[in-house]
Parts: sequence; C-alpha cells; structure tokens
Amino acid sequence: MRDVIVIGAGGGGPVVAKELAARGLDVLLLEAGPRHADPESEWTHLENDANNPLSGFLRFGPENRDAPAWYRETPQNSFIWQLSGVGGTTQHYFGNSPRAMAGVFAGYDGPDRDAYDTAHLFPFTYEDLVPYFEWVEATLPVQTAAMGTKESVFFRGCEGIGLPVQTSKTTTEDSFRPQENAILQPGGWAGKITGRDDPRLRFPEATGCTFCGYCMQGCSKPRGAPRNLAAKRSTDNSYVPMALTADVWADGGRPAELIADAYVTKIHSEQRGGETVATGVTWRVGATGEHHREDAAVVVLAGGCTEDPRLWLNSALPNPNGWVGRGYTDHFFDWVIGIFDDDTGSSRGAASAARADFPGRGGMENVGLTPGLQQFAATFSESGIRGHYANGRGPEGPWDGPAGRMIGPELKDALMNGIDRLLNVLVITDDDVEAQNRVTLSAFPADEHGPVPKVRFHQRQRSARTLANREFVARRAGEMLRAAGASKVVRVDWPPLLLHVQSSMRMGTSEEDSVLDANAEARWVKRLFIADNAALANSLGGPNPTLTAQALATRTAEKIFSRYFGGDGWVHREAPVVSTDTRISERLAELAL
Amino acid sequence: MPDRLIARRTFLARIGVLGAASAVGTAIPLTLPRTATAADADVLLKPLVDLLQPLLAELSRDTLSGLVVMTCPGPDRFSRAQGTPRSEPGAIEAGAPDFIINALDNFLPFPDQIATPLATALATALDDTGIPLPPSLHSLLLGQVNTLDQALMVILRNDQAVPLSLVVALLLNLLATQVNPLAVTGSLLSPFARLSLDEKCRAFELLEGPNADLLAVLDSNLPEPLTSSLAGLLQFLAGALLEFSAFGAHNEFAVFDPGTKELIERPVGWELSGYQPDGVVDGWNEFIGYYEDRTEVSA
Repeated sequence: MRDVIVIGAGGGGPVVAKELAARGLDVLLLEAGPRHADPESEWTHLENDANNPLSGFLRFGPENRDAPAWYRETPQNSFIWQLSGVGGTTQHYFGNSPRAMAGVFAGYDGPDRDAYDTAHLFPFTYEDLVPYFEWVEATLPVQTAAMGTKESVFFRGCEGIGLPVQTSKTTTEDSFRPQENAILQPGGWAGKITGRDDPRLRFPEATGCTFCGYCMQGCSKPRGAPRNLAAKRSTDNSYVPMALTADVWADGGRPAELIADAYVTKIHSEQRGGETVATGVTWRVGATGEHHREDAAVVVLAGGCTEDPRLWLNSALPNPNGWVGRGYTDHFFDWVIGIFDDDTGSSRGAASAARADFPGRGGMENVGLTPGLQQFAATFSESGIRGHYANGRGPEGPWDGPAGRMIGPELKDALMNGIDRLLNVLVITDDDVEAQNRVTLSAFPADEHGPVPKVRFHQRQRSARTLANREFVARRAGEMLRAAGASKVVRVDWPPLLLHVQSSMRMGTSEEDSVLDANAEARWVKRLFIADNAALANSLGGPNPTLTAQALATRTAEKIFSRYFGGDGWVHREAPVVSTDTRISERLAELAL
Repeated sequence: MPDRLIARRTFLARIGVLGAASAVGTAIPLTLPRTATAADADVLLKPLVDLLQPLLAELSRDTLSGLVVMTCPGPDRFSRAQGTPRSEPGAIEAGAPDFIINALDNFLPFPDQIATPLATALATALDDTGIPLPPSLHSLLLGQVNTLDQALMVILRNDQAVPLSLVVALLLNLLATQVNPLAVTGSLLSPFARLSLDEKCRAFELLEGPNADLLAVLDSNLPEPLTSSLAGLLQFLAGALLEFSAFGAHNEFAVFDPGTKELIERPVGWELSGYQPDGVVDGWNEFIGYYEDRTEVSA
C-alpha cells in the first residue's frame, strides 16, 4: 500500500511526485513510455530519428521503436502531438513558461475582465496562485531568455508595430518581451562559439544553453553536464531527478520510485460511506505484457488531456454531468511565416525565446525549426493549397495572398531562400472552453490497454470570440513580420495541432460543467486528483500552459498532504530548493541515474 | 454479367491496376475452370498473385512518387510529368517515396477495421461513370480481366498482405481519374503520377472536401458505427499525406545510419535550405545579449 501513486511522468505528474516525496511520503511514479536515462548516448539531434511522430525516439508509443505508435482516432484534419516517456511532452517543448492571464481567475476585476472566457473561470483568484507560480519559477528555474538573431528580428517587428515591452511576470497590457523560459541562461563558453566536440562546449566550460538549436530533439546540453544541469528544464531534467533524490535535498524526504514502460489500464475504486473512493491502479508492463496492481491512499492522474478521460472512462468511474473529456481546448494555433532577405537565425538558439501577448485575445511567439518540421508546418492547413483551392476558407489579410498550405515550387523556393532567412510566428489563441470539443472512446476496437480515445474538434464551429481572437492575433503576426522587414508573408491557417491541450478534466466553479473541485480532487471520486493540463479550468488567456499546470500541481500536492496526510502546506512558509542543486547532481551520479 | 465485368474493368483501369497488369498480359490466364472451388481457385491463382504483388508494389511506388514531388519537385520524371521540373535535387533524391511507404506500411497505426473494409471496397467497387478506355487498355480479354480481378481480390481481402501504401495509392489513382479521365493511360505507371500539379491539387480538394461519390464507393462495406468515421479519416489522410511527404522530403531519413547514429551523406533538405552547413553542432556562436540588458524581471 503506497501513500500516493502518480500516473504519468510528463509535465505535471513529476511535480506532485517531487513535492510529496520531499514530505516523506511513499510515492510511486508510473510512466507508460520509456525512460531515456542517458540522452547523450540514446538521442541524436536529427529530426526524423527524434521527432517522427510514428517512429522517433520522442513519440507517443511504446519503448520498442519497432512497434507501431499508439493509435488515437482524430476524425478530422488535425494532428495530436503528444509524447510518451519520462518527461512526456516537455521532452520536446520549448521551455516557454509565461504565467496565465489574471483575467481567467475568479475575482478578477480589471478593466478587461469581460474579455476572457468568463463562463469557465478558475475557482480561485490569481493572487491565490501567485505563490505557486513563484515556487515553480524558482524550482525549475524560469529565467528571462537570452537573445539570438531571431529574437532581435522579432523584437524589431514588435517595436515596429508600436507594442511596449513588458518587464514583469504578470501581463497587464498588449506587449512583447523575451520569453520567461525554463532554460538555464548561457554561461562560460555557451553561446559564444560554434562547434562540435569542442571541449569549451562541454560542461563545466560551458553551462546552460549553448544555442545548439535542438530544443525539439530533447535537451542534453551542455555535453557532459549532470542530468539536472541540462539547459532545458523539461521534467526529465528537473522534477524527476528531484523526485528520485528527495532524501538528499529535503529534510525527511524519501526518494520516489519511478517505473517506466508501465501503462496504467485501470483506476480501482470502491464505495465507502456512500462515496466512491479511489484505491489503486493496475498497469501493464510493455516488455512482458504482465499486469501489476498496487493500492494507494491517494491516486494522482496525470496522463495528459487525451489519456486522462480515456483511463477514467475505461475504469468506469462516475461521470454524472458528462464533462469527463469535454471542454478540450488547444489554443487553436495558427502559423505565419515571414520570408526575409537577410539572416534571421531561425534554426539557431532556443526554439522560442520571444513572445507578445494580447490579454483577452491570445499571444504570439517566434519558433525556429529544422527543415523537415519547417515544411511540415508549412503544409498543415485547413485552407487547402494556396493558388489552387481554399477548402471554403483562405482568409486574406496583412499577408500575401489567401492563407493556405504552400506546395510545389512555392514551398521549395521559400525554403531554398534559406532556413535562416525565415521567421515563423506561432499564433496562440485564447480559445473558449466548448463542450463539443471532446474526448470520447473510439468505436474502433480496443488495443492492449483498452478502448482508445477519439478526439473530436469542431474546428469551424468554434465560438465567435475564439474565431475573432485567432484572426486578431494572426493579423498582428502579419503586421509584425512586415515591420521586421519580411519580403513575403504567408499565413498557413492550421487545423487543430493538439499540443497545448488543456482542460479536458477541468476544475471549475460549477458542478454543472467541471470534473474537479477547487482542490483538483475529482468531485465524484474521493482520493483521486488530476495534476496535468487536463485540470486547468480554461485556456489561460493564451499563455503556454506548462508553468500554470505545474503551479497548480504544486498547490494540489499541498491539498493532498493537508487533507489526507495530516500535514501543513509549505509554499507559504519555506523557500524552494532549485532543481540545479549540487546535492541532486551528486546523488544522481551515485545512483548512476 | 458482361456489363458488370465491363464496369469492373473500368474501375481497375481507374485505380491503375489494369494498366500495370497490361504489361504482363500474356501471363494472365484467360479464365479459371468453371468447376473450381474457392480453395482450388486460390491455388490456381497463386502464380498470378505472385506475379501481381510486385506489380502492385511498383504501382504504389509510382503513385507515391507522384505524391511526394508535390511538396518538393526536382529533376525526376515525376516532377516533369506534373509540369514543375527543377534542376536541384528534390523529394525523389531525398528518398521520400521510401519514407512515405515505410511510414504507411510499418508505423502508421491505421486500424485494420478501417483499412480492411477500404481494401474490400476497392476489391468490389464498380465504375459506372462511363470513362471510355483507350485501345491500349483493351489488350486484356475480358476473361483475363476477370482472372486478374479475382487475383486482386485475393490480395486485397487478405488483411495480412495488404500494405496501407497500396490502399492509399489506389485511392489516389481513383481520385486522379475522377479529376482527369485521360490519366487512365500514359507514360508513367500510375494515373495519379500522370496528373499536372494543378490536377493533383484538385484530387486533394476532392479527398479533403465532402466528396459524396468517393464516400459512396468506399463506405458500402463499412459496418456501423464506423461509417461516420470514414469521412473524418479521409480528411485526416488528405492532410497527413502532404505533411508527411514534406517532412520526409526534407529530413535525414535516407542518409541516417542507425548503427552509428550518424549521417552517411548530407541530407537533401539540409543542402536545399542551407541548414547546419558544417553538420550537427554542440552549440552556436549566437548569443547576442539580453534585450535592454535585462536578465530578470519583477513579479
């Protein structure tokens, strides 16, 4: 009997595991995918080897790469880009860690209070979450991004359209800024020399971000650094090492146990005193097909927005209001590409280190990609093929011609102009929680883990506010690229690319349209908490969700500890240990982790 | 019966099978014995199935070559056929046909429950649009067409043997001949590969949009509740085929040695785009400071 079992070692689960291991609880952390314990030998910086969503080492599938990826039904033009493995989707994320907009929380009374999804607010105030933001920002740590060429081009464009610069963590007006990134700032020779196998680019001659440009391929730089000093603070580099070494950096801490290749197929529950109570889990070992069962005082579900509803439904847990899997939001991304006559440094440096935010509307950020992914992004459209057909869409605006996928000579010419003469802008929409966008179980036959999820998006029937927000930010992106000096601007008009996915098991103020209460505990299953993006109440006003999910998971860990283990919270009275702490590095070396 | 057979012959021409088989027409038996049982027929068809499988693989490869050059044309015959030849290397030189075939056949977790009925639809669908076949496709006698069709059914109805790449290729060819009936014959093996770039785009418009004709042909064999999933799946495919073609034409797939985890040659996509001029690096001389010299911000 464990104290706590955490399902999923992605962006959120390891946060709870680390916090509760630090309090001395017996924590089991289960991950369906592989653990890449030695990225230096296991990973390459090659996009097909790494990022092929069907066969890459960073994919959503089992440890054995000869086996197919896990199938999820998406009955529309869309793409789910989620990752299995320790670190989950943070293995390839860009470390972007902006805070949520204050306007998406209960009690907000600023002049822009009506600009957000006010029907689906967080059930507590922004001020309530600020200490948890600060705790996570100090733990990871989150730092102001260093600038490379592509950031300077982005900033030039933002200055050119008259945006002011933001100099605080809380966003209060339309503004631009360097990202607050969970990426260690460059030190020593990092960022100062170009090379391979150069001893000056090895740790400790180089520390932090070496500007290698491979954020999407997982971060193991600088070479030779202890795992907890790799530049990008994906949870495999930050929270997981902390959870596994909690005995050396926390008074009374107890190391969490991590089991990878362990796919949870059922959450067990029983009736106690008229309530449904979670009691444990069963998981399947990928390598052998064996099933294991363990019981726990508390179960924490953190498998991701698509997998959480699937596991819930496959476990036959209660769903009295039908909101399990509903309200799935995705920031309804779009993609605008600027083509320049001069160097933009697009493929060099951290993948995204500059952003602009438009409270109540969303935001935009620069993104540098490798050639194959660059072309993938340019051909992913809901507007058909530019110059050929518009698929009923093809919006026009401050870009060249109708939106749509480039193809043939136009696509080739755009890339041959030079990958480092492009500047990509990701449009991030503040989208509304909509019940119709949801996860259900697919009618396709089950796999070895049970019926598979089906993700349905009614992409052309989103709320008027969502659609208007997307158009607003796309226009600003086009104007910014023009102001930065782009000679050609192309808007792609993406279908749903499901990677900032949120709120499919949302917490809320009302029992009518939420699954979780204000403590992130399931309303109808006691001792069951959700600790990933699925728990978020809404799309945060547009900011990338990882930081907010991690702050909320920290708060949830406190709620678990105080409610079921008789302890007090710590965030308001202690100082966090930073994940780069030397004690963690030394312990990892002792344990060969 | 002759009417059905003529309609079926037209359909086989539209999906490219008739044209591909015409080259080996003399090896196709005129007919099977009327008395043959189903089991006997399988045995009798075995030599023809063995003959047909590599032909269909070649048809797939030609069709998917015609697909990948949509995203990255080059100096190859498929780019010439679509009317956009280029002097510098393209998708063919980058190995993108192998990439897309490998992805479809080995890794795309496409459920058999959809793939098999789709294959069955292709095995049984008739064409009554009355596309006149050119004389070159009349070289097979109707009896031979019937035998060929039976062999194709053996292949398509065996879900162990049906590569998804073949199903996708036959679908693209069906759409191609809807866009341009003249594509049933020509210099390349595949009707889709014979289209101009404009016409290929039109085929994708049909795949992506609500194409009632295509759905009517394909969904007759799908059991409920899967029928409603088919339209969405075709939309997904319309997007994914182009996106994966673009990804495969520009990444390192063809020049990666999995043993050493190193590149054997410089990838075509890197050469085209000027990416990583000196290969993979540990870092770049790219740090130019902090905006307004600010290294941290207040809460």
